[in-house]
Amino acid sequence: MSAGATVARRNTLGRALLYAVLAVFAILYLMPLYVMLVTSFKPLEEIHQGNMLALPDTWTFAPWREAWGSACIGLECSGVHGYFFNSIKIVVPAVLISGLLGAFNGYVLTKWRFRGHKIVFGLILFSCFIPFQIILLPMARVLGILHIANSTTGLVLVHIVYGIGFTTLFFRNFYESFPDELVRAAKLDGAGFFTIFFRILLPASVPIIVVTIIWQFTNVWNDFLFGVSFTSGDSAPITVALNNLVNSSTGVKAYNVNMAAAMVAAVPTLIVYILAGKYFLRGLMSGSVKG
Amino acid sequence: MSFLHIHNVHKRFGDTHVLKGIDIAIEKGDFLVLVGPSGCGKSTLLNMIAGLDAISEGELLLNGERINDVHPSRRDIAMVFQSYALYPSMTVAGNIGFGLEMRKVAKARRREAIQRAAELLQIENLLDRKPAQLSGGQRQRVAMGRALVREPQLFLFDEPLSNLDAKLRVDMRTEIKQLHQRLGTTIVYVTHDQIEAMTLATRIAVMRGGELQQLGTPQAVYDDPNNLFVAGFMGSPSMNLVTARITRHEGRLVARIAAPAGDVTLPIVRDRAALEAWCDRDVMLGLRPEAITDPASANREDGDIHEATLEIALVEPTGADLYVVTQLGGRSINARMRPGAPLSPGQSTRFAFDVSRMVAFDPETEARIRDEVPATPDEASTGHADSTGNADSTGNILGQNA
Ligand SMILES: Nc1ncnc2c1ncn2[C@@H]1O[C@H](COP(=O)(O)OP(=O)(O)O)[C@@H](O)[C@H]1O
Ligand SMILES: [Mg+2]
Repeated sequence: MSAGATVARRNTLGRALLYAVLAVFAILYLMPLYVMLVTSFKPLEEIHQGNMLALPDTWTFAPWREAWGSACIGLECSGVHGYFFNSIKIVVPAVLISGLLGAFNGYVLTKWRFRGHKIVFGLILFSCFIPFQIILLPMARVLGILHIANSTTGLVLVHIVYGIGFTTLFFRNFYESFPDELVRAAKLDGAGFFTIFFRILLPASVPIIVVTIIWQFTNVWNDFLFGVSFTSGDSAPITVALNNLVNSSTGVKAYNVNMAAAMVAAVPTLIVYILAGKYFLRGLMSGSVKG
Repeated sequence: MSFLHIHNVHKRFGDTHVLKGIDIAIEKGDFLVLVGPSGCGKSTLLNMIAGLDAISEGELLLNGERINDVHPSRRDIAMVFQSYALYPSMTVAGNIGFGLEMRKVAKARRREAIQRAAELLQIENLLDRKPAQLSGGQRQRVAMGRALVREPQLFLFDEPLSNLDAKLRVDMRTEIKQLHQRLGTTIVYVTHDQIEAMTLATRIAVMRGGELQQLGTPQAVYDDPNNLFVAGFMGSPSMNLVTARITRHEGRLVARIAAPAGDVTLPIVRDRAALEAWCDRDVMLGLRPEAITDPASANREDGDIHEATLEIALVEPTGADLYVVTQLGGRSINARMRPGAPLSPGQSTRFAFDVSRMVAFDPETEARIRDEVPATPDEASTGHADSTGNADSTGNILGQNA
C-alpha cells in the first residue's frame, strides 16, 4: 500500500518535471513568434521605448495595412501583396504537379515494376541530396533556353523538378506497403493502368497526399535562393520581397511594418500546418492501408 | 474435353523453378482444392489460372480454349483473395459493382445485380458501408459478392478463410460449400488446411515443392494415398506410419512389426501381389487411427479385423473419441477407441487392426506399393458427383480377400 503510494508520488513528480521541460521548450520556440506579433501591432514610438516583450499600449493595424499595400520595396511603394500573389501563383501549380508526378512515379515503381526499377528509384532519390547551389547555373541556362527566365512560370518549373525526388520518395514508400492484391483484384475486375491509379490508389492516399502537400508547400513557399536567383522585379516571390523590403527602407527602420510583412509571409504555412498537421503526423507514422 | 485443363504447366521466377509440370483436369461444376504446405506453389498456380502471373511453359485450357495469353479481365474468371483485397475508398456496393462498372454495365442493371449478390450473401444492410467498418467475416462476404456478381465461368479462391478465427472459419466453410451446391459453379480453391480440403472438395490436388503428388476425390486421397507425403499430410490426427518387415508366416504374407511385448503380426490383404516382391524386406506401413480400435467398436462387416495385445502409453479423450497411444514399431501410434472405455495408461488391452485399410510404402522412394495404377484424373472425374466412391474401393479389397 505505502510502496504503491511512493511509486505513485514518484510518477507525478516525474510527470511534473517532464511537463516543465516541455513548457520551457515550447516557450522558447514560441517567443520569436510572440515578439513578431506584438511588434507588428505597436506604433513605432512604442517600439523605440525598448520593451520588446510588452503588449502594445495602443493597438494599431497601420503597420499591417502598410506592409500589405503601401510599403516601399525598391522603387515601388505598393506593399507585399503583389508578391504574395506571386508566391501563390508559384506554389499552387508547383505543389500539385510535383505531387501528381511523384504519386505516378511511386505507383509505377511499386505496382508496375520494370527491369531496372531499383536503379531508376535510386537515381530519383539521389536528386534529393543535390545541394541547391550546384544547380543554380545550369538551371539558369535551361530557363534561358526555354524563354521562361525571370518569370513565375520558370520558378514553377524549378520547384517541380526539385520536388519530384521527394514526392516520389514519399509516394513510393507509401505504395510499397499498399497491398498488391488490390491491384490484382482491380486488374481482374477489368480496370486499366490509369483507372487503377485514380480509382483505387489515389483515393486511399490521403495521408501521404497531406504529407506531400505540407512538405512541398512549405519548401516552395519558404524558398529564397531559387526565388532570388531566377526572378527579378515584380515576378519575385514574397520571401524575396520581404528581404528587399527590410533592406530597402532608408532612415528609421519600420520594425512594425517589417514584422507585419514577415507575418504575412509566414501565415500561409501556418495555416497549412494547422489545417493539415493532424494528418501530417498520422501520415508519417502509418505506412500501411488497413481495410 | 474437360472444362479446365492445366497441361504440363511450369513456372520459373528467374532461376527458381517453382512449378514443375502440373497436370490437372476438372469438369464443369467441380470444386477443386489445391492443398499443400506453405510455399509449394499453390498461389502461383492460381495466379496463373487468373492470368496475373505469366505461364513459363505448358498450356491452360478453359472450355477447350487456350487462354495462356488472354488478358485476366477477359478470361471470365473471378477471384477471392486471401486479404479480401476490398477497395478501401469504395462502399460495399461500389466494391461489388466495380467489375460490372468496368465492363460498362448500365447503372440500373448493375444495381440489380449488386442487390441480388448481396441478398445471396445476406449483406444487403452493409451496402453503404466502407470496408474499414466491416468485421472479418463481413469482408469475406463482400469479397465473395464481388466475385459472384460477375457470374464468371470459374471462381478462384486463395486461402479465403485463413484470416478468420476458428469458429467463423467453420461457418464460412459451410457457407461456401452450400453456395457451390446451390449455384453449381466451378471452383478452384487454395488452402494449406487439409480439413478444409477434405470437407469442400470434389477433387483434391495435393502439391509439394511445385509438384503434384496426387489428384483425386477426397476419399481416394485419404484412403488410397500415392505416397508417404500424401498419407502424412491428409488426415488429423495423421496416419500412423511404422516400419514393418514383410515375411511369410504359415504360408500367408504378413507384416511383422516390433512391439515391446513381442512382435505383432498382421496379414497382408491389400496390394498383396505387389507386396509379394517385398518379402523379407522392410516397408513403411500406414494405418489410420480409426482403423485401429477397441475390439467392440471394430468394423467387422466391411473390414478385416486382427487383434493384438499392447500396452497403453497415453489416453487422450476428445469427447467424441478416445485416442489411445501405444508403442509399435518403435513409434507412438494413435488408436481411436470408444469414448468412455475404461482404459488407463500402463494397462494392456486388445487392439483391433483393420488390415483391409493398411497401406504400404517404399521406405526409400516413399512411393506407395500398390497392385494397380490408380485411376487417371480423366477416368476418376467421370464419377466425381458421387462422393461416396469409397464404398467401391472397400468392396474391391474385400473381393481380393475372398
Ligand atoms: N515473384 C516471385 N519471385 C520469386 N519467387 C517467388 C515469387 N512468387 C513466389 N515465389 C516463390 O514460389 C514459391 C511458391 O510460392 P506460392 O505459390 O506463394 O506458395 P503457396 O501459395 O503454396 O504458399 C515460394 O517458394 C515463393 O518463394
Ligand atoms: Mg499462398
